Amino acid sequence: METIGADIVIQVLREEGIDVIFGYPGAATLPIHDRLMNSPIRHYLMRHEQAAAHAADGYARATGKVGVCLATSGPGATNLVTGIATAFMDSTPMVALTAQVSTSLLGQDAFQETDIIGITMPITKHSYQVHNVKNLASTMRQAFELAKTGRPGPVLVDLPRDILASKCELAGERGASTLKMNGKRAETPEQIEKIARALNQSERPLIIIGGGVKLANAFHLIRQLIEKANIPFVTTMMGIGSVDAANGYNLGLIGTHGNELANRIVHQCDFILAVGTRFSDRSTALIEEFAPLANIAQIDIDPTSIGKSIKINLPYVGDIRDALTALLPLVNEKEKSEWLQRIEAEREAAEKKIANGSGCGQAGDFIRKVQEAMPGETTVVADVGLNQIWTVRTWKARDPRSLITSGGMGTMGFSLPASIGAKVGCPERAVVAITGDGGFYMNIQELATVGYYNLPIKIVVINNGHLGMIRQIQDLFYNDRFNTIDLGSKVDFVAVARGFGIPGSRIVVDENPQSGIEAMVNTEGPYLLEAVVDPNNYVFPIIPPGRSNIEMIHDRLD
Amino acid sequence: MTVRENTISILVNNKPDVLARIAGTFSGRGFNIESISANITRNPEITNIIITTIGDQETVIKLEKQLNKLVDVLEVRDLTDVSSAQREMILVRMKVTASNRDRFTQIVDIHSWKIVSTDADYCILEVTGDRQEIEDSLSLLETIGMEDFVRTGIVALKRCSPQQIG
Ligand SMILES: Cc1ncc(C[n+]2csc(CCOP(=O)(O)OP(=O)(O)O)c2C)c(N)n1
Repeated sequence: METIGADIVIQVLREEGIDVIFGYPGAATLPIHDRLMNSPIRHYLMRHEQAAAHAADGYARATGKVGVCLATSGPGATNLVTGIATAFMDSTPMVALTAQVSTSLLGQDAFQETDIIGITMPITKHSYQVHNVKNLASTMRQAFELAKTGRPGPVLVDLPRDILASKCELAGERGASTLKMNGKRAETPEQIEKIARALNQSERPLIIIGGGVKLANAFHLIRQLIEKANIPFVTTMMGIGSVDAANGYNLGLIGTHGNELANRIVHQCDFILAVGTRFSDRSTALIEEFAPLANIAQIDIDPTSIGKSIKINLPYVGDIRDALTALLPLVNEKEKSEWLQRIEAEREAAEKKIANGSGCGQAGDFIRKVQEAMPGETTVVADVGLNQIWTVRTWKARDPRSLITSGGMGTMGFSLPASIGAKVGCPERAVVAITGDGGFYMNIQELATVGYYNLPIKIVVINNGHLGMIRQIQDLFYNDRFNTIDLGSKVDFVAVARGFGIPGSRIVVDENPQSGIEAMVNTEGPYLLEAVVDPNNYVFPIIPPGRSNIEMIHDRLD
Repeated sequence: MTVRENTISILVNNKPDVLARIAGTFSGRGFNIESISANITRNPEITNIIITTIGDQETVIKLEKQLNKLVDVLEVRDLTDVSSAQREMILVRMKVTASNRDRFTQIVDIHSWKIVSTDADYCILEVTGDRQEIEDSLSLLETIGMEDFVRTGIVALKRCSPQQIG
C-alpha cells in the first residue's frame, strides 16, 4: 500500500502513544478511517460528534494523557464545538482532528465546507489547517506538544481531504521543538522566598487548590506542604480530589455552591496560597468582598490567570511542581492550633445549620449510598445542574482523577459521553455517570455506544422531572414563577435503556433505594438506575447572585 | 486608572489567520482597535502590527498577556510610555476652484505638504505627522474644500533599537 497523508496522521498519533480515539466518519475522514484498520489504534464510534469530544475530554481527565477526537468536515466539525469549548474551559489536553474539503475547494462553499478554524478560534489554544502534506507531521507534532505544555487545552488540526489522500513518504525523525514557550519566564528564587516568608508569618493561612494541581500532577507536593505546615485547604470544583477528601485539613468546596465552612474560612484567613486556580466568579462569588483580610500569593503556569479578577500580592508564573518543590524546604513546621481550633468552631456552627450534613437532602443521601456500594476505586462523572452540586458535595473523592465534571463551561450532557472516555481510559476502575434527567436527554444517544461496546458503566439518572437547578433559581429569585422547567414524567427511562440493550431499574429514593443500588452494583456490564427524587429537593446553602461568600442562604425564606 | 490611548507593537509570524486571532483577542474582551497598520519586517516571514487602543493601563497589560499567548505572536511591546517616533499619514482629496486656489496653494506651501495627484478641479494631498499634527491638518483642510480623506494607522518605532527578533 502506498503511503498517504493519513498514514502520517496515524504515525504521529502512534508516536504520541495514542491508542484510542473517539470519532465519527464522513467521506472526508475516510483516508484516516481506512488506514486506522492497519493500526493498533482503537477507534470508538460514538453516536454524535459532541459525544466524541466529551469522550476524548473524559479520557484525558481520567488518565492525564491527551484525548483525541476525530470528525468529518462541515456538520461533523461543528458538532464538536461544545465539546471543544468544554475542554478549553477546564484546560483539558486534547487534540481535535477535523477533516476538511480539498484545498482546491477551500473558500468555495463546497459541500460540507465550514470554516472550523474561524469557529473554534476563541475555544482552542491554537488551530492549524494543513495546506501541504510536507507540513503534516510537524503540524501534528506541534499540536500535541501545544495541547499538553503550559496550561493544557484543546488544539484543532483541520485536514483537507486531498492532503490526507496525497501520496507521500512517512515523516522523518521529530526535529527540535519550534514552539514558542509561553509562560516559561523563569521566576526568581526570591519570589518563592517571599511567598514562604509571608506564609510563615501568617497566623491564619489557607491554601486554595484549583484544577491546575491535577493538570500539573502536583498532588504529592501539595499534600506534603499541607502536612508539613499544618495548613487547612479548600478546593475549587476543578480541584476536588487533589488531596484525599478524608484528610482533616480539607474544608471543602468554595464558591457559590460550595460549603459554608470553606467560604467562611476564606473570609477569615489572613494569607491565601492559591495554586492552579484562576479565581473564577463561581469560586469567588462577589469579587469585591472576596477574602477581605488576606494577603494572596498565586502560583499558576498561565500568566493571564494571575490577577485576572483579583489583586495578587505575590504572583508566581510557572510550573506548580517547580514552585512547590522550591517552597517546601522554606516553610516552617508550625503549630497552628489557635487557627485550627477556630476552624473547628466554625465547622460545628456550619454543620448545625444544615439538617443532614451536605445540604443536598435525599439526593445527597442517595449519592452517598451509591458511593458506599461501589468499589473504592470508582470514578464518578457528574453532569451539570443540581445533580452536579449534590455529587461534588457528597462524593468523597479519594484519588485525584476520580471525580470528573464540566466546571468552567457547565455543559449539560457531558457526563454520559465523558464517562465513556473515562472507562476506556481506565478500564480497571469502576465508572459511575451521575446525571439529571435534563442533561441525560442531551446525549442520550450515547446509550447506544455504551451498549454496543458493552462498557460496564453505571448510569445513575436522578430524575426530578424538572430542570432542577433552574427550578431552584425560579423558586428563590423569581418568586416561584415556574416556567419552562417541567420535563414531565411520561418517559420510561428503564424502557429506553432496555431499547439500547442496557438493563436497568427504577427506584424512588425516599422509599427503598437500596434494592436498586444493589441491582446496579451486582449486574455485570452497563446498568441504568433511574432514581426519582422530589423536585423540591434543592441544594442549600447557596450564595445568591451578586452576594459575597459569607452571605449564604439556607432555605427559601432566608 | 486613567483611560488613554495606547500604542502596541506586535511582531507575528506572517500567516493568514494571525490577524483574525489578534482581532479576536481584542474584540473578545470588549476592546476596540482604534487604528491598525501592518507590514512585513526585514524578515519577510515576520510582520509588525501596530495597534492603538483605548483603555487603562491595567487592562492593557492583561490584553498584552493574552496576545502573548497566541502561538504566532513573537513579541508584544507597549510603546505608549517608551520613547518612540509615532507617525500617521493621510491622503486628502481637495476640490480646487478659482475661489480657493490661492489660499490652498499658500497653505500647502507653508506646510510643505506634497501634492501626489492633480487634475482639472481636484488634487490629492499627502500629509504625514504625529496624531496631533494630523488632527490639526484635517481641521484646517476642512475649512478650505476638503472632499474626502483616508488615514493610515499609527506606525511607531522605538527610538533605541530593541533586540532583533527573527
Ligand atoms: C447545554 C446546557 N444548556 C443549558 C444549561 C443551563 N442549565 C444549567 S443547570 C440546568 C438544569 C439541569 O437540569 P437536569 O439535567 O434535569 O439536572 P438537575 O438540575 O435537575 O439535577 C440548565 C438548563 C446548561 N448548563 N447547559
